[in-house]
Amino acid sequence: MKRKRSAVVAGVVIMALSVGLSACGSDGDGDGDSASEPAKPEDFAGKTLTVWFMDGSNPDQWTKDITAEFEKKTGAKLKIEVQQWNGIQQKLTTALSESSPPDVFEIGNTQTPSYAVTGGLADLTEIKDDLGAGQWTESLSESTVYEGKQYAAPWYFANRMVIYNKDIWRQAGIKGTPKTRDEFYAALDKIKKIGKEPLYLPGQNWYVFDGLIIEKEADLVRKDGDTWVSNLGDPKVGEAMEVYRKLQSYSKAPKDKDEATPQQNEVFAKGDVGAFIGMGWEANTAIEANPALKEKLGYFTLPGETADKPAGVFVGGSNLAVAHNSKNPELAREFLKLAVSNTFESALAKENAVIPNTSSLNYVLDGNPAAKAAAPAVPFGGTTPLIPQWAAVENEPNPIKSYMTAVLNGKSHEEAAKDVEDEINKRLSQQQ
Amino acid sequence: MAVQPEQVTRGPGGGAGVAGGPPPTGHRARRRRGTGPVRRRHTALDRGLPYLLLLPATAVTVLLLGWPLLENVLLSFQNLNARQLIQHLTEWNGVDNYRGTLTNEDFWRVTGRTVAFTAVNVAAIMVFGALVGLLLNRLGKGMRLLLSLGLVLAWAMPVVAATTVYQWLFDTRYGVVNWSLDALGWHSMAEYNWFGGQYSTFFVITLLIVWYSVPFVAFNLYAALTTIPAELYEAARMDGAGAWKVFSHVVLPILRPFFLATTFLEVIWVFKAFTQVYAINHGGPDRLTETLPVYAFVEGVGNQHYGMGAAISVLTIVVLLVLMSSYFRVVAQQKDEL
Amino acid sequence: MRRSLFSRAWPNVVAVLLFVFFAFPVYWMASTAFKPRGDIIADTPVFVPLDATLHNFDTAVSADHFWTLVRNSLTVTIGAVVLSLVIALSASFALARMRFRGRGGVLVTVMLAQMAPWEVMVIAMYMIVRDQDMLNSLVPLTLFYMVMVLPFTVWTLRGFIAAVPRELEESAMVDGCGRTQAFLRVVFPLLAPGLMSTSLFGFITAWNEYPLVLILNKQADKQTLPLWLTQFQTAFGDDWGATMAASTLFAIPVLLVFLVLQRKAVGGLTAGAVKG
Repeated sequence: MKRKRSAVVAGVVIMALSVGLSACGSDGDGDGDSASEPAKPEDFAGKTLTVWFMDGSNPDQWTKDITAEFEKKTGAKLKIEVQQWNGIQQKLTTALSESSPPDVFEIGNTQTPSYAVTGGLADLTEIKDDLGAGQWTESLSESTVYEGKQYAAPWYFANRMVIYNKDIWRQAGIKGTPKTRDEFYAALDKIKKIGKEPLYLPGQNWYVFDGLIIEKEADLVRKDGDTWVSNLGDPKVGEAMEVYRKLQSYSKAPKDKDEATPQQNEVFAKGDVGAFIGMGWEANTAIEANPALKEKLGYFTLPGETADKPAGVFVGGSNLAVAHNSKNPELAREFLKLAVSNTFESALAKENAVIPNTSSLNYVLDGNPAAKAAAPAVPFGGTTPLIPQWAAVENEPNPIKSYMTAVLNGKSHEEAAKDVEDEINKRLSQQQ
Repeated sequence: MAVQPEQVTRGPGGGAGVAGGPPPTGHRARRRRGTGPVRRRHTALDRGLPYLLLLPATAVTVLLLGWPLLENVLLSFQNLNARQLIQHLTEWNGVDNYRGTLTNEDFWRVTGRTVAFTAVNVAAIMVFGALVGLLLNRLGKGMRLLLSLGLVLAWAMPVVAATTVYQWLFDTRYGVVNWSLDALGWHSMAEYNWFGGQYSTFFVITLLIVWYSVPFVAFNLYAALTTIPAELYEAARMDGAGAWKVFSHVVLPILRPFFLATTFLEVIWVFKAFTQVYAINHGGPDRLTETLPVYAFVEGVGNQHYGMGAAISVLTIVVLLVLMSSYFRVVAQQKDEL
Repeated sequence: MRRSLFSRAWPNVVAVLLFVFFAFPVYWMASTAFKPRGDIIADTPVFVPLDATLHNFDTAVSADHFWTLVRNSLTVTIGAVVLSLVIALSASFALARMRFRGRGGVLVTVMLAQMAPWEVMVIAMYMIVRDQDMLNSLVPLTLFYMVMVLPFTVWTLRGFIAAVPRELEESAMVDGCGRTQAFLRVVFPLLAPGLMSTSLFGFITAWNEYPLVLILNKQADKQTLPLWLTQFQTAFGDDWGATMAASTLFAIPVLLVFLVLQRKAVGGLTAGAVKG
């Protein structure tokens, strides 16, 4: 079941949940860039706007504040429905075909193009400037545009960093945190010498691998005439895999499993592993499992080849979209403007410790070491290929994961890539 | 129809007739005609009565099963993906979905695998279930209650929970199974990855399905055994028959309809098993443990090609019908016998 | 005839081993529900949760709409079971007791209906319900669950009715009872085990159904418990403790139904074991 979820929501499985943070209300730093022509309460009195958020996306205080603000501003009611991950793709697709779909909904950034082509998303190009398109971080907003049209607004993001156990690093005699890949390997070698598992990295943590591919500026797909085909055989992908293989060699984790089986943070929580590459929320889950870890956790940005450029990361996250069939299109747009306004964008980033859609708001992450460690990699980050056909490739069983396991078990890059390229091409060529 | 659950779960007062098997239908009918007065008075009503009694069942079946089936067949001739579903578009594409599926060697590989998987599982369930049923019949009251309790627990457990628990039990690093094997001295199993290979994954799936299905067979067999009069066993034993002979000459013939009926149900249930097969390892590694329903799901719902999924589901029914055709033949023969 | 210790003991030994085999996964589910987080994934398995906690149950029960979902699940499940019993009783009586043209065809249809691949027809069913504007209602769910279990119910009850000696019924009719009365007074009471096994089958099928309710009823207050069961597996890692606690609670009604029905059925524990 849980695999179905991660297949379905691909890039979205990266929400951040901050348990330790104190709740912060909207700090009301001006009403920023909301509506150009303010809505009047009487326009919408008696109407109800339905919004779908994924489980864990909307923190309590934020939800309370935006509900109050929205209802005051428009006179309409706001009904927020929190959705479970299981079966969400089926649920969303069918909901969009109904006459009363959710008006506004959260959607994974990598999934946005494939929903854009279905005609289920409203075209938001006209209000794009009201939404603040000018200030969005580029690597975060790419996914919201498809064939020149704006189909969603970037909402919040998260990416991976190294989470490490300070005790073990101290025992191994490591000083400071590594700034380059070589320093990182050297540190891991030291941990190995004291008989601990230096890094927990299963063979199929495919989003870590995707980050390395982004770093090598390789593309997973290329155009062959009119159709998209696999580019997995590219030697640059092989180089990325080589880095992954080296990192993975420091781990005793299974080569044919991903980070969810078993949950890598729960393994780390046992206290015998030096570090793992994960999301901020995973640190919190680890602390929940083993409260003794609380003071021992440290975070740093995954180092790249040189000190001035961190490793590439996959930046997952969520956009907000309006349903094409929405019965309250104007109201939906009003809500969207409010939700991605600087006020609520920064409040969300702060309360959930997630990356906001513009780096100008990154200052709200001060005081959260995990988010602080994650943020520097974002401008160097990227996503999976932003084509509607891509989602099919990631459906379990994900052929790229099979490729990774094959390479880790000794196959050459070329051979392993060749084995799965047919499957990838088949999935890319599926009719839409 | 040969499938006679009345022997399996005969109610009170019905036990006496079992030994001789149900009276032949022809005989019944004749005798019935003999009870003239009751019958003749209601001739007109009687002729219509069976249809009247069947009307509600027929109506709901046509409406709630027939309609979706028809819709499903219609969908199988369409190019129906997320876009068409959302925009309510109907794009007929003839037999493309069928051609695409039937010319795909994956489909045939999955079909073969599904048939083998069904055969192995049903055989295991029937043999193991029968043995447990025989054991139940032999145990004293206390032990029978204990074993029944275990069986009931297994069968009442929600499928999703059962699957999750099995995943843990066989987890590479934290699984109880590997831990126990290691503790028992089989140290190479300490870090064994059950989900890394096709056969070991199938082993876990089979274990789960057998574990889950045996209670049904065992309970029903036990119930059926209790309807066999003790005199029959004694008579056979006095004739010097051993345990096997008693089983094969006394128990088996009487229980033939039971085995036919149960096997029929188990074939259907195992063939259609989706949750267990899918949730354990998602058809992996490398799609090597996908059976037809899982294949239909991955292609149809997972990839949002609903038309294609519908075509595969129609073909799945056809395969099941072909498998069952020999069973239907057996049933037809038996009907003549009775 | 004295039997050796061995031949007397082995069935009991085997029975105990089998008990462990069948009950252990269930024990593991229930005991996990009581374990604190750190004990759930442990290098050395924690067989007995000594530091037991009710925290997981708390999480499970305090989920949104929990009691509404309980009510919906009970409504849908009981509705489906009762409806299918009533409809099946009349149909199976005709099939067991009467000769009529087309009887063979009906019997084959019942067997074929048994094979309906409901899991893969969900989209077709969804489109029908959507186009009839009946989404977010318990009615289509109840009806579909009813028809899912109908073939099995007809089939099983038909066997039970056929097993009641015709003479009993006929003598009642000679004594002046009408056919209906004869059925209600003579046949119906003898069907207890059959009614039990079919209700159990129906109960389990409807109680567990997930794919259909997922897409038919998207309104939170119109859903059923299987959706609640899966909600503890979230993006922030799966809360296995809560999932197992929920599963344990989820299994209890099935066990209760079994116990209640079992007492009514003279045939005892055995007659009705039917899997879902």
